[in-house]
Amino acid sequence: MSDFSSGVVVDDDLDFSAVANRTAGREAVGSRAAAWGGKGLTVAIGVSAAVMVAGIVLWFLQLSGGMVQTGMRNLNSWGLYITSFMFFVGLSAGGLIISSVPKAFGIQGFGGISKVAVMSSIACTVAAIGMVVVDLGQPTRLWELFAYSNLGSPLMWDIVVLGTYLILSCVYLWAQVQADAGKVSHTALRVISVIALVCAVLVHSVTAWIFGLQQGREMWHTALLAPWFVSSALVCGTALVMVVAMALRKTGYLKLDQAYMVKLAKLLGAFVMVDLYFFGCDLLTEAFPAGSGLEVVTMLTTGPLAPYFWVEIIGCAVCAVICFTPALRTNALLTVGALLAIVGIFCKRVQLLVGGFQVASLDLPGALTSMHHTGWDAGLTSIYGSMVYWPTPLEFGVTLGVVALGVLVFLLGIKFLPLRPTDGE
Amino acid sequence: MRYGFAIDTKRCIGCHTCSVACRIENNLPNGTWWNRALTDGGAEMDTPVGEFPDVTMSYLTVACQHCENPACVKVCPVGATYKDPETGVVRQDYDKCIGCRMCMAACPYTGVRSFNWEEPAYTVGFEMGDADVAPHQQHTVEKCTMCWHRLAKGEEPMCVKTCLARARFWGDLDDPASEVATLVRERSAKQLLPEEGTNPSVYYLV
Repeated sequence: MSDFSSGVVVDDDLDFSAVANRTAGREAVGSRAAAWGGKGLTVAIGVSAAVMVAGIVLWFLQLSGGMVQTGMRNLNSWGLYITSFMFFVGLSAGGLIISSVPKAFGIQGFGGISKVAVMSSIACTVAAIGMVVVDLGQPTRLWELFAYSNLGSPLMWDIVVLGTYLILSCVYLWAQVQADAGKVSHTALRVISVIALVCAVLVHSVTAWIFGLQQGREMWHTALLAPWFVSSALVCGTALVMVVAMALRKTGYLKLDQAYMVKLAKLLGAFVMVDLYFFGCDLLTEAFPAGSGLEVVTMLTTGPLAPYFWVEIIGCAVCAVICFTPALRTNALLTVGALLAIVGIFCKRVQLLVGGFQVASLDLPGALTSMHHTGWDAGLTSIYGSMVYWPTPLEFGVTLGVVALGVLVFLLGIKFLPLRPTDGE
Repeated sequence: MRYGFAIDTKRCIGCHTCSVACRIENNLPNGTWWNRALTDGGAEMDTPVGEFPDVTMSYLTVACQHCENPACVKVCPVGATYKDPETGVVRQDYDKCIGCRMCMAACPYTGVRSFNWEEPAYTVGFEMGDADVAPHQQHTVEKCTMCWHRLAKGEEPMCVKTCLARARFWGDLDDPASEVATLVRERSAKQLLPEEGTNPSVYYLV
């Protein structure tokens, strides 16, 4: 740690000098980086609320005018919403795991970001649930999930686990706040953190099983998918915690020692390597027999999904280099690296979702209509080859609205909940 | 009892009559086909593969395979798609469907399930087909019902009744004396994508 000017490891990361920074009107750099308690935060809350309302309006348009306004069709029946759902479930991991692993195993943590990290988990989980809701054709029938539950469906498992995860995250956050006030014992907190950790691993596995248990899709049907989802979740979750911590430190909301940031960066680098390793294993296993799996690999590396593939591979590699090279671990580069990892994992989600539909199991030509896919009139010859899904502006708008909901939840937490580090940490 | 089809690919001429009859009988919305005649040949519909004069072309009419082990039924979170225990027909309850499209992702048979992406619209200004067909709903998944409304009246599915080439047969695959069971037993028959383990109740006679 000697290569850091501020690299003094202290057990107590709390620094009340942050309070002195509590000046109104701090400049907001994007909504996430808004100053806490100040005008910037209020403006950011207002903006995200407005974007959310706009998203809700667009969602109503989608429901009244029909989902024909989206880019989804019979042959690519899921799109940006489910991609984002996977992505946000993944993002929600980091916060909870970063926060609960040290407590569960009784090791030194990552400074005072524990509560903020859990808050980001809660916000991401809310956004993930929102993504599923906007994807539903009949949201008014949501109650049926509880009345007619088919407990054999991976989607039902996910709803149960995701709901539990959200409640547990809230309980965990509450317990931490209470523990700070001395009302919850550390043993109790430790028990809750173990349960939360198990639930976090479960929520990613179950989300993977929505895809991985489907024998009909070459690209999805692999036992690797669940562990791979966990590793991807760790990558983008840790990266998110880093970005949020950087932003909050910049605004003076909390003071986090650089040593903790380096620790996070090293962890992120390790997670990125594991994720890339899984990707390599998957590509090799699919391509080696040179059967139908080779079609999937070709589609990813040189085919229509190549841009997403290479952005992920290069972005993650660059992130790992930044995280592992001490000289490169500057605040700016670490932020860039973390953002690259987040973008990379999003690209991975796109590959997985679009790719799953791209390869048809019955690729015989037949009657195709505007209900089969949006590019149906582009010519029959390469009808499946050309079927790359692209969202419509309405889908982008609704997605943005759900993201704004997540941001709003997070910012409200920052504003109204006692999430700043306290003496005990 | 296990209702199923035997489709003679040697008799099928790819005329799409079964597909059109299905559309009319079931009052299908614009753009929706529950049953499609796929060309097993060249890259485009109705084109052969090979170099003239050595060319081949045949047709596979593909609708819901009414699998004995359906992938869609397992994944539906609310049980809107289910297998009728008595007949083995895979059914879809429009009133229950929440429109999550999990079944469409699960079904290995590309394109047999369709979603009403818009409020159902019809080419002609009035409803067609059988009055007993369940009304189509926006944002729900639907597919071949094996003409459930006709089965209830003791009639065969419309695609079988209208097949010009008499290439389609329907009946109880579990009854050894039935026409379909006899054909499947005595002719060379194959199922689509047997490697998926779904065991379809549609057999193609080759």
